[in-house]
Amino acid sequence: MKRQIPLLIVMILGFLFVAHTFIPHTISQDFFDWFIKWSKVIGSFAIVLGVGSLLMVHSNKIKRKAPNWGYSWIVILGLVITSLSGFIWGIEEGTPFMWIFKSVNVPAGATMFSLLAFYIASAAYKAFRARSIEATVLLIAAIIVMLGRVSIGNAISPWIPEITQWILNVPNLAAKRAIQLGVGLGMTATSLKIILGIERTYLGGGK
Amino acid sequence: MNFSDSIQKIDRRYIYIILAIVVILPLIFPLGLKTFTTPPVRNLYKTIDAAAGKPNKAVFMDFAQSPSTLPELYPMDIAILRHCFLRNIKVFTISYYPQGAAIIQMAIAEVKEEFPNIRQDVDYCNFGYKAWALRLPITLGMGDNISEAIETNGAGLRLDNLPIMKDIKNYDNIQICVEISGAAPGYIYITYARARFGVNVGIGVTAVSAADFYPYLQTGQLVGILGGLKGAAEYEELVETFAQNGLPYSAEYAENPTLKEEQYDLSKVPYKFKKARIGMDSQAIAHLLIILFIILGNIGYFLDRKNEKKKFIK
Repeated sequence: MKRQIPLLIVMILGFLFVAHTFIPHTISQDFFDWFIKWSKVIGSFAIVLGVGSLLMVHSNKIKRKAPNWGYSWIVILGLVITSLSGFIWGIEEGTPFMWIFKSVNVPAGATMFSLLAFYIASAAYKAFRARSIEATVLLIAAIIVMLGRVSIGNAISPWIPEITQWILNVPNLAAKRAIQLGVGLGMTATSLKIILGIERTYLGGGK
Repeated sequence: MNFSDSIQKIDRRYIYIILAIVVILPLIFPLGLKTFTTPPVRNLYKTIDAAAGKPNKAVFMDFAQSPSTLPELYPMDIAILRHCFLRNIKVFTISYYPQGAAIIQMAIAEVKEEFPNIRQDVDYCNFGYKAWALRLPITLGMGDNISEAIETNGAGLRLDNLPIMKDIKNYDNIQICVEISGAAPGYIYITYARARFGVNVGIGVTAVSAADFYPYLQTGQLVGILGGLKGAAEYEELVETFAQNGLPYSAEYAENPTLKEEQYDLSKVPYKFKKARIGMDSQAIAHLLIILFIILGNIGYFLDRKNEKKKFIK
């Protein structure tokens, strides 16, 4: 029963939603409105689950003195202090919540992402070698796109941004579309397998 | 270590230091490089601009952002909000990311300093943070009734009672949904809002992800893309050229950087409204530096190959 009931829910709702998409009837619309109301209520509980799960994971780490357990205190304190400041003083401009956000969260997040520039520069220097025809094509395309995406490319020749746009619009587009079609077909097949109960790994629990 | 080896194995710490200098210097001493615009950005600008002065049309902005992507995405937020405020276009903002809600507050506060007459819940409405799980029901529900789907604004007031909602009911009144995100923007709007209700969709995305979205641009599922800091700089430029000067969009001016130069003096533009264009100076030099490193590495590689061939012949 523990497995059959969830399987049945997925199967029935799966078929109902497929039917709703293709049958524009009042009953179908009422069903959909009912779903939207319920999903709003259920969806809100995800926050409770998320916060609960975060607290459990990190409090366990602290209890077990797991490696780097000190950082778990920072996570918990960050959660409590930020939430309390939001609950007490609100989240408008000029409140402690916004001060925490602007002074801690923004610089820390931006710093992490900024490191990408250094890694890209170092990786491009080390890895971009014209070892084969394919690698040479990639190399030339990369240089054109890098130039075409900045003003200097246009200053060298107005053709560089044009070629850049062509690379993005034609070869890049063709490759991306092929990948996306593959992903789309894969998603359709997996969805069907889930609705029909063939794919059951989402239920967990091994066999 | 011979010459070919030494130019192939430059210590990465030197690369980091040189790159840091090259990035920082143009931010302190801007080079004033020209910004040229591209069709995906011009199309987005035109679509938003078409709602100018229409009380029954609004731009819906989804801030799917966290602070990590702010350097690239925040100038887009600012430029689009400024465009809407300049052109008297109603704006709705929403975020399904907790941090995105704070970014909305920051962006609106920053742009509003220049527009003291813009009123909350009359000219713009911040729907605030909504839980991620509500994304699908809200996106679908907006097709029937926005007030019912979203219910309250960020301050907890019912949308039904707000003056901004007077002429706005559903997607028929949304000029465009613009999602600005560092992850995978636009998919939910393309799949549900565009396919089902025919609403226009535009996106702003970090430069590394921009190439993924060109197939949607070609099919018309996306009307425009702002790709990375370059996209933001282009949008800033269009806003400065047209909206700031009270001019209607003109393809001739938009496509010709020489004509645009005469339109305004960049030094008189407030820093917050030219952040992306100044950032592009840094990016231009950084790109040149990376290209230089790539060329150096390849010179070393070919010298090595030449030496190996010589050894083999001997």
